[in-house]
Amino acid sequence: MKIRMIIILFFLFFVVTAKGQDYVQSQFDYANNIFGSQHYFDAITEYKRLLFFDLTKAFIYEANFKIGECYKAGGKFDDAIEYFSISELNARNDDEFFESKTQIIRTNILRRTTDRALQLCDELEKDERFSSRTDDINYWRGWSYIFADEWKRAANSFAKINFNHELKKLAAQTDKEKVSVTFAKVISYILPGAGAIYTGNYLSALLSLSWNMLAGYWTVNSFVQDRVFDGFVVGELVWLRFYRGAIYNAEQFAINKNIEVANKSLKFLQNEYKGIKP
Amino acid sequence: MANSLNKTSLLFNNFALIFIFMSASLFAQPDFFSAKYRLEFGNYLYAEKDYLRAFHEFRNVLKTIDNDTIRFRLANSLFKISRMSEAADNFKTLFFGSALSEEARLMFYQSAYFLNDHKWFRELTEQENYQTTKYKNEVERLKSITYFYDKISLPDTNILFKPFHDSVHTRLAKFYKQKKYPQYKSPTAAAVLSSVIPGAGKIYTGEIGDAVAAFLSTAALAYLAVSNFNAEHKFRGWLFTGLTAVFYGGNIYGSAAAAQIYNARIRFNFENEVKLYFEERNYFLPRIDF
Repeated sequence: MKIRMIIILFFLFFVVTAKGQDYVQSQFDYANNIFGSQHYFDAITEYKRLLFFDLTKAFIYEANFKIGECYKAGGKFDDAIEYFSISELNARNDDEFFESKTQIIRTNILRRTTDRALQLCDELEKDERFSSRTDDINYWRGWSYIFADEWKRAANSFAKINFNHELKKLAAQTDKEKVSVTFAKVISYILPGAGAIYTGNYLSALLSLSWNMLAGYWTVNSFVQDRVFDGFVVGELVWLRFYRGAIYNAEQFAINKNIEVANKSLKFLQNEYKGIKP
Repeated sequence: MANSLNKTSLLFNNFALIFIFMSASLFAQPDFFSAKYRLEFGNYLYAEKDYLRAFHEFRNVLKTIDNDTIRFRLANSLFKISRMSEAADNFKTLFFGSALSEEARLMFYQSAYFLNDHKWFRELTEQENYQTTKYKNEVERLKSITYFYDKISLPDTNILFKPFHDSVHTRLAKFYKQKKYPQYKSPTAAAVLSSVIPGAGKIYTGEIGDAVAAFLSTAALAYLAVSNFNAEHKFRGWLFTGLTAVFYGGNIYGSAAAAQIYNARIRFNFENEVKLYFEERNYFLPRIDF
């Protein structure tokens, strides 16, 4: 009699618990289905509904993680980080913790808060639980450097994973193609137009040099003819304007060239790179 | 005895089976999308200030349950996400036969106010069907505020300040004066001044640094033109003459433009100041929520 009663109670408990989990699970599946069809606004609603009705908090990690992914996909990076952080707090094991943390890093990369991304990479690296996942950490560190426009450091990070890593080669190549802004300016101080030649703008270089020579001639000529005030005014208003213009131009050409080089690599990463992206 | 035990056991078994069946039915998959659960979830979202999602839930709830508070919350959700036109329409549904009628009317006027069509808003306040008795003064206040943003002439201060408490009249009087007698600069006067003395128009618009630079550059270029002609460098003479003309003309145009920019700045600052003042005080309106 007692045994029968225990069996019945056990069965009852099992039915109640199983049924309780059943409907929460189907809500989770439903939300996942919407997420899969890329309707992120609706997916967030359904994950929030799941969180609201999931009294056992069985899906607290998954739902928050998925909400973070939805916000990230929608470009709402602040919200994404908020939800990834909640999922991180509710992680049940090291893998889940690592997943949440890397998502926070990836979102920081996309948000262009690369300093924070690098800081989080350092934190993960120091954590002994993840000593076997240094490749993953270096991978995202490399991406952080790419978005911080520090291609040489990015190449070094990818090289730690594999010296022949595809991204290492790309980052190193990009760094090689970039020009030095300081050098472009300095050589323009010495010879107006030289910075423009260095950055490949030959016509502009020729014009800069010509204007400087003409203005220089006028200035010197004024002094030679004892028209000192003329010399000062022409030197100040005309020659100096072209001289400074050449330096400014060289700087702008170098900056634009570097943006062009970086954009070319970023376009490759966006459209042709097959690996995991932030 | 054995018979009695058997009977008890049978009864217990039957009872247990019924209990299991009932429990299983009770804990059968609940419909999260039923009106009851949607309302619970909608209220949660509303409290979390996720108004867009709350609006969607309330809209679905209203398909099966008609409730004034839900209607109000739905309209308020739209108001919070700045969908003012829809909010106003939804508040309107509570105008008649609702305990929330007065509050809905006030919120309707608030929504209409934020549509930024001030002339239409003032006309709306005259509509008899829409008027509120409880919040009449609040609506009048909103109406008064609209005058500060429009280009029309301001009504008399007695009418304009009447809905406001005495304590804010000094500040309102300051706005009134700024609006009625703005310290504008004349673009024509600025241009004429600069044509007489290069840079004078800039001084008139308060740009002293620009004025000095304009005067010196025009004077220096004119001197260079004369000096080069005297030294018989005709090309350079004409070049500097041309540059002088460009600087002279540019300064006249620049002075007129500076006066226009100055006036635009005055208007912009005034509107910003007014907006900030009323926004910080929630337009002197009570915060209504249910």
